[in-house]
Amino acid sequence: DFRAFPGVLAHLEMLEARARREAVQQEEKEKWEEKLAFLKARAQELRLLRDELRDKVEQQEKVQLGKEGILSDPSPRAVLEWKIRSLQNLLQVFHLTGISGKLSNRSACFSIHTAYEGFSLDSFHLELLLRPGLRIQRHSIPAFIPLEQISRKLLHSDLRSFLDLLSRHLNAFVGRRHQLELLQEHFSDWIQGTPQRNSLCNLLSFQYHIPGKSRSFPFQARLLYGDPCRSLPTEVTVSCSPDAPAPLAEAASAHSELLRNTALHRAFHSLKSME
Amino acid sequence: MDETVAEYIRRTVLKMPRNEIKMMLQKWGFLSEAQLQTLNFHQIKDNISQDVVQLCEVNSADIKQAAVLDIIYNHIYQHKRMWSVYQMKKPGEELEYFDITDFKKKFKGRLRSALKNVTITFKEYEDNEIWIRVAWGTPYKKPNQYKPSYVVYHSQTPYVFISASVLKSNLPLLCQALIVASNYHDIREMELRSHSLNSLQDIVFKRYSQNFQTYSPKPPQGRNAEAESADLRIVQENKSEKERIHRLNWEVFGDGPQPKLEFAQYMLETMFKRDPKMDVLDKKEPFRCLVKFSSPHLLESLKSLAPAGMADAPLSPLLTCIPQKARNYFKIREKKGFFPGSFVSP
Repeated sequence: DFRAFPGVLAHLEMLEARARREAVQQEEKEKWEEKLAFLKARAQELRLLRDELRDKVEQQEKVQLGKEGILSDPSPRAVLEWKIRSLQNLLQVFHLTGISGKLSNRSACFSIHTAYEGFSLDSFHLELLLRPGLRIQRHSIPAFIPLEQISRKLLHSDLRSFLDLLSRHLNAFVGRRHQLELLQEHFSDWIQGTPQRNSLCNLLSFQYHIPGKSRSFPFQARLLYGDPCRSLPTEVTVSCSPDAPAPLAEAASAHSELLRNTALHRAFHSLKSME
Repeated sequence: MDETVAEYIRRTVLKMPRNEIKMMLQKWGFLSEAQLQTLNFHQIKDNISQDVVQLCEVNSADIKQAAVLDIIYNHIYQHKRMWSVYQMKKPGEELEYFDITDFKKKFKGRLRSALKNVTITFKEYEDNEIWIRVAWGTPYKKPNQYKPSYVVYHSQTPYVFISASVLKSNLPLLCQALIVASNYHDIREMELRSHSLNSLQDIVFKRYSQNFQTYSPKPPQGRNAEAESADLRIVQENKSEKERIHRLNWEVFGDGPQPKLEFAQYMLETMFKRDPKMDVLDKKEPFRCLVKFSSPHLLESLKSLAPAGMADAPLSPLLTCIPQKARNYFKIREKKGFFPGSFVSP
């Protein structure tokens, strides 16, 4: 019935126009809210600055008043030298922890130097802008490390914990990768082909054998690293085919236990020395 | 062996440069070493490809193996294709255990449930790089093997590199399958395109050289005195200016090689700034204009502009922010007050 159609089309048109209007309004509202948040942050920052200045003025006044009470004023130069020395020591300590930083008036640059078992491995860097609010300007953190997640949780509330958590993620990743590289380097004849891994090295799967004992690769290992901050797996399964002889099956469960508690390459070293 | 498969293999071999055919066939691994020995790689390519097809006939090649050969060719000649970068998003915070078997199953399942006639092939390379080749058909036609799409994905990263075939209508389906397979919720195209896949990867994975100021416990080396010119009769008049330019350039571009991009495109929608007395335009509308910079190696040429004296240092942030912002397509609108809003302003 042709008379019904114009009504339907007109109705659809109206709905479409309404949807469009509402989308535009929503967009404007979001822009407004962003602008408001930005201005609020600026206002907060200005308030902090004002408080700082107020404190400084008060301090000045106190010093003027309390000058007679102080026993022996250390000379300003000595104080400064002491401050510089303690800062240098602090920086040195931090450098040894693997996290070091450099501050400029606009930004702070942090470097995370990773290591595993005494081997110094990759370094990663982060540049943070300090004003108007702390945010990451640029970085060299690999894309598979959940940087966004970690910064969302900690960057604005606790910078130290943020760096600590990020450092643990990176060190654990580098540790897992290093174990796998050592395994492939020293035990290539134990493993069939290349182990299957992913970017984070938190899921490994490979078939292996004990050289000399058999031609085939009877053991199937699967290692799951559930904790991103640890370089030891949380779940290990070593299995054989169902028709394998009993001693093989027993060996598999022993291997499984070993792999759960020892670093990958070390576990294989143990297996080698047991032969 | 299917006629179409034979023809496809023949044409793929014809694409390869003659001195590389043996290497690619070896990488393929479908023909045995003994079989490869029987091939004469000094004849004309037409004959070589015929011989290869005959050997494939003996081994009963099907389209799956032929597709792998195509991936191998395109992996080596990736610079012949234009690559776009897509970014995936997910709101969740669960830890990812990327399992490649799981990924492949989900990807194939999603595509096949929407389109029966597709050829899907995977090949894994080092560095956790997964290549996916998809040849598209319709409900009534078999897949067109000559216009496939290629996808390159690194596990547990939110970036996908796609070289779409000319049949762009399949792109939404491809994107859907990718987010389902990799456990993401959303995908959008980034404003970043180039022929150099490696450079795109360098940019989004932050593998290019960025110079970060790092703390070092040793005191900084005294500035190396400029190697005294052997000839004292030559005097550098603009020495301080040269050093200033060099320093600014180093701060922006760093030491290492730049990612390889071929162009940067700026779409300007800014008001024409004119003398109020000269009323060139009646309407107060933004002046639309497209500025495109092209070069065989754009970033290296930008890096050499100031030292060559062709531009003032520092260069405009619109040019130097390209690797950091991971984009080479920009839209520039009028600055409204001090709030940047949704458009790019340096």
